[in-house]
Amino acid sequence: MNTSLLLSQILNGVVTGMLYALMGIGLSIITGILNIPNFAHGAMFAVGAYLVYTVINALGNFWLALILAPVGVALLGLVIEYAGIRRLYAAGHDYQLLLTFGLSLIVTEGIIIVWGPVGMSQPPPPLLRGGVDLGITIYPKYRLFVMVMAGLLVLGAWLFFEKTRYGAIMRAGIEDKEMVSLLGIDIHRLFTAAFALGAYLAGIAGALTAPIRGLNPLMGVDMLGIAFVVVALGGLGNLPGAIVAGLMIGVAQSLVALVWPEASVAVIFAVMAAVLLVRPQGLFGIR
Amino acid sequence: MSRAWLAVLAAVVVLPLVVRHAIATEIWIFAIFGLGLNLLLGYTGLLSFGQATFFGSAAYVGGYLLKHYGTNVFLVLALGVVVGAVSAAAVGYLCVQRSGLYFIMLTFALNQMFYFTAYQWTSVTGGEDGMPGVPRPRLFGVGLDDSLAYYAFAAVLFLLSLWVMTRIVESPLGKILVAIRENELRAEAVGYDAARFKLLAFVIGGAFSGLAGVLYAMLFGIVPLEAIGFVFSGNVVFATLIGGSGSLYGPLIGSFVFIWLSESVSVMWQRWPLLLGVAFVIVVLFLRGGVVEAWARFWSWRAGRHVAPGTAGDAP
Repeated sequence: MNTSLLLSQILNGVVTGMLYALMGIGLSIITGILNIPNFAHGAMFAVGAYLVYTVINALGNFWLALILAPVGVALLGLVIEYAGIRRLYAAGHDYQLLLTFGLSLIVTEGIIIVWGPVGMSQPPPPLLRGGVDLGITIYPKYRLFVMVMAGLLVLGAWLFFEKTRYGAIMRAGIEDKEMVSLLGIDIHRLFTAAFALGAYLAGIAGALTAPIRGLNPLMGVDMLGIAFVVVALGGLGNLPGAIVAGLMIGVAQSLVALVWPEASVAVIFAVMAAVLLVRPQGLFGIR
Repeated sequence: MSRAWLAVLAAVVVLPLVVRHAIATEIWIFAIFGLGLNLLLGYTGLLSFGQATFFGSAAYVGGYLLKHYGTNVFLVLALGVVVGAVSAAAVGYLCVQRSGLYFIMLTFALNQMFYFTAYQWTSVTGGEDGMPGVPRPRLFGVGLDDSLAYYAFAAVLFLLSLWVMTRIVESPLGKILVAIRENELRAEAVGYDAARFKLLAFVIGGAFSGLAGVLYAMLFGIVPLEAIGFVFSGNVVFATLIGGSGSLYGPLIGSFVFIWLSESVSVMWQRWPLLLGVAFVIVVLFLRGGVVEAWARFWSWRAGRHVAPGTAGDAP
């Protein structure tokens, strides 16, 4: 096989893997802190993509859209937590699941009603069109940009969790909510913030994905299963775990796409199943 | 015979008189599917969001055999049960090793794996177009093509399933599953291997899903891709919860409400999943506990009105 093709596929795998990691980290924050199965996480991803598309078409500025769209998704997350999920913390996972799944259906159908059932494409901004010569292969600028952006976001998330007071409170919230609230921290505000932050990360992952894969109403639910895989392999609240898991399935998917394109999505789940067969507790153990 | 059984029998007789035969048949098929889930959800306390995996796998295998080989219908049904059980054993083996939220996410993720496999394996499954042309064979000289004959066939299998499920939940096995739901640690301490019993519940649930899947393929003459999709997994959870997962008969009521409503609404508006989503949200926020509990609450509220007004009827 031709090395330049192989290298560019591996790079593609890293790019998608970083996006998967972003999704997984967002989900991990929400699931870990709120202790709910969040089936609306994919919907947040889709809304991020569609918002970026809409803002670009309305204002003609990609950069502004990249800032505004995820903020919009975070606000949506805020509303969802405040108006819906908050009322279900005492209920079982089954009802929490139905609520978030119902919201996901509403968002998917809402997207079809507003933007239509047909997929759309979104070109990258003029500055990032074309490729860069990496020596062995010419690689699209936009994908390199996404790799860097996703890397910075992951780094930002890591710094936030490790170095800031609020990040420490969130980590403590994953460990022991009761203790955190006994220490005088408003646990409800923490929950709302965690949901909005997780939604933000899903939204920006969606926004960054739009120029690579285009948009379609089912992009959210397709991403939901992948985010679950990242969390199942990486562990709740485990940032390095999410990155390793995301890169692993991203690269596996890209490489399989070279030899057997039809299996490239199923392989994500097959890799998960294989890892869990050997390590039922996930890559780095679970709490 | 208990009053509940008489009510079920009466419902089986009356249903085809009041709704279209296809809908009546679908209600009982979906009820079999719900019975299987309820063993997990209601009795063992395991929330599986991947039941369509077993339903769909069995529907494809059964549909394929009927379509290409004209295999005997009872053999196909038995194979459907086996396919449901075996696929559930494979999926369950991975899932029962994790608990809580991980369990739910794994059932969903593995459901996606089966879905994408069916989606891409077009030579067998037909991909997005589904697998059409599943025949209904003749049985004892009666063609099951007749909608009422097929209704009777499915209803008998439903009654049989209900009887089997009653025996399971009343058996020591059923009690152990409830013990695991109530307190897994204590069940372990008493000497029961919780993971093994959870897996067993998963396999039994999968077997029921498999039976329902094959019946579904024969009912519509097609295995649509949705039969193995996560929306189907969600629908059966929803139906079971609106019926009330705490009771053996909850899934029956849930199936009736869900199928009847969805079949009525889906012909009116193509975007009806939107309404389904809205229904999920409303039920979850305002009608938790399901129909069975709402009914019980209504009666206790009526009884309470005579004794102590204003003490009952609040949401849990």
